[in-house]
Amino acid sequence: MSGPEAAGGGPLIHRRYVFGLLLRLCVNFAGGVGILFVILFFALSRSLPGDYEGVFHALRNLSPFLRPILAVSVLVYALLACGSTSALCVYILHKVAGPLYRMELILDQYRSGATTRTVSFRHDDQIQALAHAFNLWIGTLRLDRHRWLATMMDAERHCLQDEATCRAKMEEALRKVAGDMARYR
Amino acid sequence: MRKPVLHPLRPRIRYVNPRFQGPAVLAFAAIVATGGAIFWRLVDSEFQRVFLHAAIRGHYAFDSTYDIVRDLLAWHLAGLFVGVFLTGSVLVLLLVAATRHGIGKAVDSLRGSADGDLSTPTGTGSIGEFHRFGKKIDAARSDTLASVLKIRSEAAALADGGISPEEFRLRWDELKHRIRGIAP
Repeated sequence: MSGPEAAGGGPLIHRRYVFGLLLRLCVNFAGGVGILFVILFFALSRSLPGDYEGVFHALRNLSPFLRPILAVSVLVYALLACGSTSALCVYILHKVAGPLYRMELILDQYRSGATTRTVSFRHDDQIQALAHAFNLWIGTLRLDRHRWLATMMDAERHCLQDEATCRAKMEEALRKVAGDMARYR
Repeated sequence: MRKPVLHPLRPRIRYVNPRFQGPAVLAFAAIVATGGAIFWRLVDSEFQRVFLHAAIRGHYAFDSTYDIVRDLLAWHLAGLFVGVFLTGSVLVLLLVAATRHGIGKAVDSLRGSADGDLSTPTGTGSIGEFHRFGKKIDAARSDTLASVLKIRSEAAALADGGISPEEFRLRWDELKHRIRGIAP
C-alpha cells in the first residue's frame, strides 16, 4: 500500500502487512464459524425417536428449545470471535499504534526542551517514513543551529583585535544569522 | 577454555495505543456481533419453518434434526463467514487508507518543516487519533517557529546597533544560549 506520500522513505504501510492482516482475519473468522458449526452440530445431531409418532412430536415440540439453543450458540460464537479478533487487532495494529505512540512521546519530549535523539522504530514496524521525516527535520534544524553558532563564534574571534572591528563583525554575523533564519516561515 | 559471551535478553517492547487500537477493536466486535445477530434471526425463522414442514410432510427418512437442516445450516454458516469477512476486509482497507492519509500528511508536513515551512497546518484530517497526532506535530513546529522568530528579531535588533557595549555583550551571550536551545 505504498503511496505518493511515502516517496523516498519506503511505503507507509507494506502490502505484505495488509495481506497478512486479511489472512489472519480470514482464519480467525473461519475458526469462529467452525466453532459455531460444531456447537450446532452437537445440538442438532441427537437421534430422533424410532417411531413415526415420536418423530412427529419431537419435530413439533422442537421450537421452544430451538431458540435458546441458537441464541446460546451464536452468543458463544460472538464472544469467541470478538475476543480473538480483538486480540488479533491489538497484536497486528501495534505495528502502527506503537510508532505513533513513540512519536507522540518524542514530540512531547522535544517540546519540553529535553535532548531529542534520533528516532528509529522496530524493524517490522510500519510508517517508518514518519521516523525518517522527523529525523530529517531535526537534523536540518541542528545543522542550521551549528551554522548560526559557528557564524557567531567566528565573529567573536575578531574580538582579539580592536573593539570597533569586533563589534562590526558581530553585527555582521547577526545580520547573516537573521537573514539565514528568514527561510523559516 | 573461553566462555561464550552471554548478552542479556532485551525485552520486546510492545506499545499499545488504546486510542488507536480501541476503536478498531470495537468496530470489528460490532461486525462480528451484527453478523451473529443476523445469522440468528435468519436461521431461527428458517429452522422453525423447516422443522414444522418436515413434521407435517411425513416420510421421516432422517436420523436426526441435523439431517433436515444440513444444507440450510451450511449455506447460512457460509453466508455468515463471507459477510463478516468481507465487512472486516472493508474495515481493514478503510483503516489502511485512513492511516496512509493521516500519516502521509504528517510525513509531508515534517518534510516541509525541514525546508523551513513551519506554519502550514499538517491537515491530517478529522479522524480522532490522526487529528490529535497532527495537532501535536503542529504544536512542535509552532514552538520551533516561535523560537526562531524570537531569535531572529533579537538578532536583527542587536545588528541595528545603538546599544552600549556591555548590554550588547550580555544580549549576544543570551542569544547564543537561545540558539543552543533549538533542537537540543
